[in-house]
Amino acid sequence: MFNDCIIIYSIFGGCSQVEEGAKVELPFWLAQELYLRQAVSINVPACFNQKTRREIQADAANVDLRSRCPYFYEFGCKIAPLVGDRTIGKMLLSTFQMRYKDILTKAHTVAYAMASKFLTVLTKEETNLYEAAQLSMATFKKWRIGGPRFQRASVLGRKRKPIE
Amino acid sequence: MHGRLACRLVKEITTGEKGQLQPFNDELLNEVTKECSENFLVLQSLIRKMQDEGLDFQTTRNADHYGALINHLSLIRNKRCLMAYVYNRAEIIQNLVWKVGLRLFELPEEIQEKLSHSEKEYFNRHSAALESYMSKMDLDLNVDMVPPKDPYIKVRVLDDVGEGIVVSDKAANFARHSMHFLKRTDAEPYISRGLMEELTG
Repeated sequence: MFNDCIIIYSIFGGCSQVEEGAKVELPFWLAQELYLRQAVSINVPACFNQKTRREIQADAANVDLRSRCPYFYEFGCKIAPLVGDRTIGKMLLSTFQMRYKDILTKAHTVAYAMASKFLTVLTKEETNLYEAAQLSMATFKKWRIGGPRFQRASVLGRKRKPIE
Repeated sequence: MHGRLACRLVKEITTGEKGQLQPFNDELLNEVTKECSENFLVLQSLIRKMQDEGLDFQTTRNADHYGALINHLSLIRNKRCLMAYVYNRAEIIQNLVWKVGLRLFELPEEIQEKLSHSEKEYFNRHSAALESYMSKMDLDLNVDMVPPKDPYIKVRVLDDVGEGIVVSDKAANFARHSMHFLKRTDAEPYISRGLMEELTG
């Protein structure tokens, strides 16, 4: 959760000089700590606004969640208790349920060229799921066909093309 | 801006492929450390200012208090990011020791270049610790964990391994693309470094 900014009402001073009652965007790690010290109150971040929710209700699988927040679910879980919005949790769950099946199906069926387009709308969490699904299928295929078990250590990265 | 550089530093770990090293970013690391010292200076001066004004730092909630608080939180955040950066790289380095080889010079050059000086030292010490443990236990922990069906395997040499290499008391000429029948334990280090591949069927 590095870059997710949220709007808060703040009353802090020092070098930044923010008036009481002003709305500023702060990174989550700072806002959270200030909230716990009752220095600020937190508004619902833009990525969980009504517009996004309506889009998700219409067609969850095709909403570009990554551009809204690359860690949509994790951030949602962390922000929900702070803004006191009880609908966020339900919304996250139903969003995930609708998208989960689609991700796993696509991981096994979609051709590589198509996948790159599809991948751009997934959040980081969903991308991990997608890759895990593909990896398990690849490992299964390898096991069925057989072949060398012991291979070049993956920590070295992909092999460079040998310079001839 | 508070913590923005540190954020960039941490993000470097996630760019590129998972579990692989990027070049050590000395420059950015130093900048974050500098930001930490700046945060600390501001924090100190604000506390001093409040003390001079005769305010109790524990209970007063004025602008200076929150200014100091924000600098304090930024300092902690930056430190956490620095730790995360170093820690995640150390994990990969340990992985290198276990999976690739105990000697630094055995690593491919492009990997060696990505390590900082202290990371190289970490590599050496970790492998020394592992080595002394293995010699005490009289057990080689670096080999494949699944017992082989056959102690001998057929391999093909993929790269110039170099001449005069002795395996199991025999000198062999590992020319590129040549095929050999080797003891599995002898071949494994070359396979994991990508210099040989196992042939099956």
